[in-house]
Amino acid sequence: MTDALVLLIVLPIAAAILPVFLGILSDRAGWYVALAMSLAHLGLSAIVANAVDTSGRISYAVGGFQPPFGIELVADGISAPLLVLISISTLGVVVYARRAGPHSNAFYSELALLTAGISGVVATADVFNLYVFLEITGLATYALVASGRSPRAAVASLKYLFVGTIGASLYLLGTGYLYIATGTLNMASLSEAIVATPAGYASPTVLTGFGLMATGLLVKVAIFPLHTWQPGAYAESPDTVSAYISALVSTAAAYGLFRVTYTVFTRDFLEAVPIAADAFVLLGSVSIVAGSVLAVMQSDLKRMLAYSSVSQFGLVVTALGIGNKTALIGAVVHLIGHAVMKGGLFLALGVFAASVGARTMDEFKGLAAREPVTSAAFAVLAFSMVGIPPAIGFIGKWNIVVGAVEAGSWSVALVVVVSTLLTLAYFGRVIERMYFTHPDETDVADASVSADGGQPASDVSFGMRTVVVVAAVTAVLLGIAGSDLIDIIRPALEVYFV
Amino acid sequence: MSSLDFSPRAYVESTIIMTTVRVVSPFVFTFGLFVMFHGAESAGGGFQGGAIVASSIIMLAFAFGIEPTREWLDDDFVRVVIGGGASTFALIGLGALAFGGPFLNYSAYGISHGVKYGIELVELGIGAIVAGVIVSLFMNLAAGFSDEETEGDEA
Repeated sequence: MTDALVLLIVLPIAAAILPVFLGILSDRAGWYVALAMSLAHLGLSAIVANAVDTSGRISYAVGGFQPPFGIELVADGISAPLLVLISISTLGVVVYARRAGPHSNAFYSELALLTAGISGVVATADVFNLYVFLEITGLATYALVASGRSPRAAVASLKYLFVGTIGASLYLLGTGYLYIATGTLNMASLSEAIVATPAGYASPTVLTGFGLMATGLLVKVAIFPLHTWQPGAYAESPDTVSAYISALVSTAAAYGLFRVTYTVFTRDFLEAVPIAADAFVLLGSVSIVAGSVLAVMQSDLKRMLAYSSVSQFGLVVTALGIGNKTALIGAVVHLIGHAVMKGGLFLALGVFAASVGARTMDEFKGLAAREPVTSAAFAVLAFSMVGIPPAIGFIGKWNIVVGAVEAGSWSVALVVVVSTLLTLAYFGRVIERMYFTHPDETDVADASVSADGGQPASDVSFGMRTVVVVAAVTAVLLGIAGSDLIDIIRPALEVYFV
Repeated sequence: MSSLDFSPRAYVESTIIMTTVRVVSPFVFTFGLFVMFHGAESAGGGFQGGAIVASSIIMLAFAFGIEPTREWLDDDFVRVVIGGGASTFALIGLGALAFGGPFLNYSAYGISHGVKYGIELVELGIGAIVAGVIVSLFMNLAAGFSDEETEGDEA
């Protein structure tokens, strides 16, 4: 049944072609194709997850060309939950897009292509193949961001195109260095071949390769000084797109960074070259603080959530730098948790914008009375992001803090705790306005005008609210089932600690 | 289509260019196919071949005017070429699964020289995608931007 692993990538590519054909017949065919694709994708990822659960790591040689020469796909306890996450997020976003749009066939083609790219990044075990899938992910995302109606969306997309291409090129250059040094591109055989090079980890070629690959991936993850593309891309694209790319695109890149650091270069490399781990911790910590501070300063809610992602991914990169088992478990759990929470938060903002036209901090006054269910879901997701138990945000952050303490880096533990307070600061501000501030007279008048005129409340379907509520419930349930999730992840991490 | 109002000044009829293009473009097109078929065993492939095929069509557009070329080669046809190319690739890969081999395993088909024919078909598919996308990008750029929603952006 390992064919399911390759079908996870082929199926969305095939689904991306179909709307191009069907577009000749019908304008709405894309949605049905995307729905069928996401349901089939969910089935396939469930098969893969089940296979991993029963027999551990599974590997697939594409075209029957055996690794290390052929392209290898791999699923293990870390990638399998991420594949399921991708399927569920895709399904949720497609259901949400039924009413919320965009409705064009091109949008669904791009969405399917993005699904293929992200699935590929997570499934591949080949560094060059990883580059190809990063580029597919990137190109699909540029097109999706540009599908926003405002001219600013086009500018944001162009900026993302430039910065993202530079990031991918740096990664490709690093891959080239490694290939020159070792003559292989397969991740598992690279880890042995790097040690076998004459100078080992001290080889300047290998060090340059690491530096370039890590920097390229950090651009894609959007860590503080390299994050400049990210707020625009998240804030200017349509709400459906913001939710999908905030949930998965940086997550896939962060997973790629994890794979490159721990499968290709291994912990021995991090011990031999302590500056690499220190750089991760430093960049991550700066990103945590800077992202949170920038988030507190925003009045546009989408921009606030975007900067919040900069901060949360700083947490993940810091955990990669700390590098003990607890911290890495925390990093993977937080990747999954962040995707659920941030995707859900963006979808909730979409509901608010469509039903009452609220997009900025001031327009959120008294929102809970007008949009009670979605507000409650938003609050649950926000508190989960802050890290309040029993939600998933707590499990991730807690493991990272404990990992930092185990490693003796008290300063990092302090930064994480401070970041939690800052997260509370920017989400607290929103929730205080939603629940405890009465709307001004003029605001109510404005809202009723806009509700009667431009954007009637019927713009929000039952499906859209349901998806938001499901995201909130999932965040809590994942937190309650956190130890089971850790049990799935742990065996795959043990491999790096022998 | 807003492009009608600017095509007269964009297009200058020239006997020399039209005659040259009429003679050259079939050869360029054939050379494109030749390069595509060389993907399996020698230097060549779908990307290069597709670019050459597209260049022969763009050449026609320059010589005989963009609007007549668009009428001759309409959007839906280009769309089918792109989709058909991608489907060829996907179907060859999935066909191997149906024959019991791994994805994209050409030898699973059990045809003699199956690997070679498989790669050549995939290269033809890639060539169709590349040629189609380049032509449609060219046509979209040539059509300029209108305020209304532009249809068919399959880039």
